[in-house]
Amino acid sequence: MTHLLVMMLFAAFVGAVMGVVSRETRQEQFRYGLKVFGEFVAIGLLLAWGLYFLPL
Amino acid sequence: MANREKEEKGREAAAPGNAWIMGALAWLVPGAGHLFQGRWGRALLLGGAVWLMFIIGVLFGGHLFGFTAREAGTSPLLQAAPAIANLGTGGLYLFCSLLGLNFAELPEQMSRATFEYGNTFLWVAGLLNYLAMLDAFDIAAGRKS
Repeated sequence: MTHLLVMMLFAAFVGAVMGVVSRETRQEQFRYGLKVFGEFVAIGLLLAWGLYFLPL
Repeated sequence: MANREKEEKGREAAAPGNAWIMGALAWLVPGAGHLFQGRWGRALLLGGAVWLMFIIGVLFGGHLFGFTAREAGTSPLLQAAPAIANLGTGGLYLFCSLLGLNFAELPEQMSRATFEYGNTFLWVAGLLNYLAMLDAFDIAAGRKS
């Protein structure tokens, strides 16, 4: 399993739980869960590329 | 300010004993707090996420943190935060703790590429179960539909 897939799996679990506990209607839950998932993946990728260019 | 305090006190007083039991149950067995309230969908989603994250964390080679320093030179204070996060998995943590399972940091475990992922999955499984526990409490107390 690649690092990206592990991160996406993690984001999916967190997004699902956050969506369910913090919104009322099913549609809102789905939207918010998707938003959290997308943010995790997008920020993860941005950080990964940012760190790639740093001479660490 | 005073009105808000009164409102909060009223809410606390309104929380039935049942809500505390549901909250405790949700912590002890992830998903059970919702299941006993007939919230099958929530139980499956919240409980399923916590259980799967815990299992995946263990399979990835992660380990659980205790509240006492197990190795020389490590501080119990540094262990506290991850241990509190792990403790969120409730019965899963207690079961492993009673049997002494998965608490040791074995060199072969630490050398795996997924070791830190495993730890993160285990921490977050516990933290998400705290949220699920509060959700079960709120539903039982009538604060959530």
